[in-house]
Amino acid sequence: MRSDEVDSGRLGRFGLLASALAGRALQVAPSKPGEPPWTDGRMVFVDADRSAREQLEALAVQASLLAAGSLDPDVVRRLTRRPALARRYLAVEGHRALAVNEPLLPMPVRSLIDCVIAARGDSPAASLTVALSREAIADPPENFGAIRARRLLAPIDRADASSRTHEHVPRRQGNQMPVELEEDEDDGTAADSFSSPVGGGGALGRLLQRMLGVVRQLDGGGPPGADAPTHRTRAGIRGGNHAVVSTGMPGTLDEAVVEGRGTKYPEWDVHRRRYRPDWCTVQEVEPRPKDSAPLSMSDGYGLRRSLARLGAGLDSCHRQVQGDDIDIDAAVEARVDVMAGSTPDEAVYVDSLRRRRDLSVLLLLDVSGSVAEPGATGESVHERQRAAAAALMVALHDLGDRVALYAFHSQGRSAVHLAPVKRFDDDLDSLVMRRLRGLVPGAYSRLGAAIRHGAAVLEKRGGTSRRLLVVLSDGLAFDHGYERVYGAADAHRALAEARRQGTGCLCLSIGASTDAEALRRVFGSAAHAAIPRPEQLRHVIGPLFRSALRCAEVRRR
Amino acid sequence: MNATRASRPYYVPIGNEEQVFKAAFRRGMAVVLKGPTGCGKTRFVEAMAHDLERPLITVACHDDLTTADLVGRFLLRGGETEWVDGPLTRAVREGAICYLDEIVEARQDTTVVIHPLADHRRQLPVERLGVTLDAAPGFCLVVSYNPGYQSVLKDLKDSTRQRMVAIEFGFPPADVEEKIVVHETDIDHQRAAELVRFGQAIRRLETAGLREVASTRVLIAAAGLIAEGLSPREAARAAVAGPLTDDPSVTSGLVAMIDAYLADQSH
Repeated sequence: MRSDEVDSGRLGRFGLLASALAGRALQVAPSKPGEPPWTDGRMVFVDADRSAREQLEALAVQASLLAAGSLDPDVVRRLTRRPALARRYLAVEGHRALAVNEPLLPMPVRSLIDCVIAARGDSPAASLTVALSREAIADPPENFGAIRARRLLAPIDRADASSRTHEHVPRRQGNQMPVELEEDEDDGTAADSFSSPVGGGGALGRLLQRMLGVVRQLDGGGPPGADAPTHRTRAGIRGGNHAVVSTGMPGTLDEAVVEGRGTKYPEWDVHRRRYRPDWCTVQEVEPRPKDSAPLSMSDGYGLRRSLARLGAGLDSCHRQVQGDDIDIDAAVEARVDVMAGSTPDEAVYVDSLRRRRDLSVLLLLDVSGSVAEPGATGESVHERQRAAAAALMVALHDLGDRVALYAFHSQGRSAVHLAPVKRFDDDLDSLVMRRLRGLVPGAYSRLGAAIRHGAAVLEKRGGTSRRLLVVLSDGLAFDHGYERVYGAADAHRALAEARRQGTGCLCLSIGASTDAEALRRVFGSAAHAAIPRPEQLRHVIGPLFRSALRCAEVRRR
Repeated sequence: MNATRASRPYYVPIGNEEQVFKAAFRRGMAVVLKGPTGCGKTRFVEAMAHDLERPLITVACHDDLTTADLVGRFLLRGGETEWVDGPLTRAVREGAICYLDEIVEARQDTTVVIHPLADHRRQLPVERLGVTLDAAPGFCLVVSYNPGYQSVLKDLKDSTRQRMVAIEFGFPPADVEEKIVVHETDIDHQRAAELVRFGQAIRRLETAGLREVASTRVLIAAAGLIAEGLSPREAARAAVAGPLTDDPSVTSGLVAMIDAYLADQSH
């Protein structure tokens, strides 16, 4: 056991090298004894007992395959359950991938490339054609390892499947399931998932992922919720006959909060380019604290340092040794001192220094079902976002800023729930941390309504001239009658409204698999960052906060 | 600052940046240089100042930089107040090239003082003196910033950005970078090629725990250590791995890369 740990540590060091060669994040882990090197697209498995040179070669080949697009799903799908073909393909494509990556390869690895073979194909498809032909192809060198098609496709299928689960899952999935399951049992790699817990997820996970895969095949990308026409019709009628005439704008919630009835907010209808007044009902729901140990309250990620200088107001400080202008009173006194023959005080300038804390921050935490998905390394997005939210809250509180934390999810427009984990006036105590711990992700995210409510609370209760709204979300705005494009536009609009009121907005996605383009669509010109792990927060948080605050400051003037 | 007059600071043009800069200079336009740290922005300005025979005044901006720091302030000397020009005012009077490094770091209210200088007026109002200075011929305002995280890019106000001509900088291609490393440090080509290859690999890492990738500057630093007799691996650990990260796991990853890319003996 001991030596295993050492080995994995030794191989783990190669992660950075593998990532550089592959041009994407990649980790290195030991393979089972006797197994050839292979990759699942996130990990490269190499034999820990081989020499460093051989390990280097093996991971250079696997990483280059990834970099050269040799393992793109389109090609790999054609290799499933055809190990002989996969081997012929690897023999050709391996050399081509190395050749493509040649300018980046370390010196020792470059000798692996066989230019003659590399010249046989100029693309993965061409190499596949060669592999499919009857041409004689020598077996690839041992260090080339193997291509495991099923394992490569698994994360992609899982991502597909999970992106579906954010959307409405058609209810008729059940009757199709057994057929697919049987097929899966045929699959030779099924047994593998029991013996190798590394990377591929457990047997149960794979089972689930297959089941969800059925859904994907069932409705090939139709609009989400298309099978629930009742919802749509009802929404359409209500929107159409203008039964509601109030045009309450965000920020004017005032006494509208009635216990149990909630606050109404408008919603931006991008298709008709106008607001739907009083469309969403936001209710504040008391979160249930969990009795187990609260989250730790330490400033775990070293955020305090990067946040310390932000949000401080400028104060004119008199009697400074240096400064922008002369402090007349001090100068006169100094002059008098000189005339009287004593030593004058040299601190005769006025300087503007950042001393006054003048910042309130409201953290909005997405606890919709989509964040419960496990991220790339097992921890769910929710756990990461929660850790980041806790760290931010503690750091800001320690710095003397006013801070609040609300968690949100929704179940249709009449039930947008915001759970005040910490209100502005609450103390930061273990109860808050237990409430945070007790949050269970579920349902959907009507991002726009949550942002509008958050901004309204911030404006009303924040009590400072600088205000910052931090949205921690995977960026998947989705709910009943709130599909992607519509939701993204509404959330975008809500952020713009907040900024117009002088509230800085920034958005953080932590460990989510949402692509950058989708995030940009939702978060628009607001400062946003997507980082894989909460530990990286301190690198981005300073510039993000600063730019969000600056942006708001410009609007306020 | 004018000591470099004798020889031209070494700068290898990658594209048309020299022509663009000189054209902008002749038209009295302000220039913004965009690019990551250590890719040669400052060296480029030095080379341009040399070519154009103008003195160069550099200001490193920081987030407490006030207008007074740029324009000037009254100081008390004995019983008298005395006006002291700031670097910007000095450049305006002398017709120098004023280079504001990392302009986004400066406070927003500070950057607006350059507005009247950067557009057709070419004037610097000095509020405390109650005068408006016309820029002397040869004055040129150059600012630089590092776009870094995509969101911070918006930091520079549009009203500021649109007053400038932009020149984009990236890291030089491998062969040029190799030439630069060799020129700066006199190490042999083989070593330089290995170092550059290693640097290019790090640049592919994007965000793997690294705030910034290995710049040409750190590669030159490593090469400098090699020239002083350190082995390539020692040099790269000290000049590349150390400065890039404090994180132990990232460091060990970088060390693994160093071992893969660089031979352990010098010469």
